[in-house]
Amino acid sequence: MSDRPPPGPPVLDEATATVTALVAGAADAWDRAGLLPVGLLRELGAAGWLCAQVPAAYGGRGLSSAAGGAFTAHVGSLCGSVRSVMTSQGMAAWTVERLGTAEQRTAFLPRLTGGALAAAGFSERGAGSDLSAMTTRVRRDGDAVVLDGHKVWVTAAHYADLLVLFGRYEDGDAGTEHGAGAGAGAGDGTGTGDGAVAVVVPADTPGVRVTRVADPLGCRAAGHADIALDAVRVPAAHVLGGSSLPLPLLVTTALAYGRMSVAWGCVGILRGCLTAAARHAATREQFGVPLGEHQLVARHLAELFAAEQTATRVCEHASRCWDEGSPEQVAATVLAKHVSAGNAARGAATALQVLASAGAQDGHLVARAHRDAKLMEIIEGSNEMCQLMLARHVLGSSA
Amino acid sequence: MNGFDAGATEKEILRFLEARTKRTWGTGTDLFASGGLSSLFAMELVVHLEKSFGVSVRGADLRLDNFRTVASMTGLVERLRAAAGGTGE
Repeated sequence: MSDRPPPGPPVLDEATATVTALVAGAADAWDRAGLLPVGLLRELGAAGWLCAQVPAAYGGRGLSSAAGGAFTAHVGSLCGSVRSVMTSQGMAAWTVERLGTAEQRTAFLPRLTGGALAAAGFSERGAGSDLSAMTTRVRRDGDAVVLDGHKVWVTAAHYADLLVLFGRYEDGDAGTEHGAGAGAGAGDGTGTGDGAVAVVVPADTPGVRVTRVADPLGCRAAGHADIALDAVRVPAAHVLGGSSLPLPLLVTTALAYGRMSVAWGCVGILRGCLTAAARHAATREQFGVPLGEHQLVARHLAELFAAEQTATRVCEHASRCWDEGSPEQVAATVLAKHVSAGNAARGAATALQVLASAGAQDGHLVARAHRDAKLMEIIEGSNEMCQLMLARHVLGSSA
Repeated sequence: MNGFDAGATEKEILRFLEARTKRTWGTGTDLFASGGLSSLFAMELVVHLEKSFGVSVRGADLRLDNFRTVASMTGLVERLRAAAGGTGE
């Protein structure tokens, strides 16, 4: 049926079966408790499954975007909270891989595939959709950098050993020279002093305070937390890439992975909902016939199927663009995130309508899906931010 | 790929830019100052350079100055190819 992942390498099939065995029966209780077993997360992490696209050279599984996406969707069909932790871990790893130097990749990626847990912090109280309003500062001080500021709603931060934190960079030297040698052009980044960096900060560094977000609406066990940073000192070698980049380019690069992961996670939400709604409509009888025989209910099933299939196709397309190295991946990723999140939110509401009281209890897969999917319309670029990016893409191609 | 042909590199970058934006560009035009090209577009450029020229743009090389003009992108590609020691053949 539609919730069966496409055939992958045997090791992936095995991981899919293992995750099903570990997660399927327990996700409801984790949601109600608002907590995942850390041992399970470390086990998945040490086996490389929390960031399965990290290359084998760094201890990763080296999955393609398409295979990683299929796995993400499978986990997402079982538990939005575990999938969210995967998104965070994967985004942290991708940020290190993309922005870090060879030495930094060698230093940090094997930890992320070796059982250490990670989170990536962007948002602040005054900087949600408008990340340019970010105020967290990273100040160079000799061989170290010092972070001051705060982050909010950092997914998985409650569990994380390593935090990848974004902030504005203040070089100790006057001016805004770039650290790395060749071809230094005039000025900093876009020329407006918006140079920023991503820094790897161990969560147990003095001055880091992690406080859980109480009772989040969705992905309740994903360990969302606020982070306060008070004179947090880490080696300058923890500044990814060693020098600043324009803030928009920095966050866009890091978020690209998160958007793909969320998009595939939404495919999972839709598959879980489709399976539950189909089963219920086939077995539950009212007015003397199964629910599915009632045309108004049948339409719900058709629309849910259409939502799942279109989300799947748009994610497959975006992942193919990533795997082929096509520049189209940039717009395709935003499109996949936008379509999948909207479909998941509508699809989960539809599934709940079909299940009615049978799904209307906290912890139930469809109740979780309904809450989790709503958050997916907000996280990693809200519906509206995605629409603005897509509109700009359209306008930029038609001048 | 035969050698480091800066002229061919420049031509290919111009071709991509014009196909993608439906505009013509000079090799010295500041792409980001003069027409509101976005950070998403900067990412497209990064991926395009990687795919077309077999280079990997990482870390500090991602700074915008490297992508500001066709000339600076050509320079980046040449530098990355030279650093890779011609292994991209």
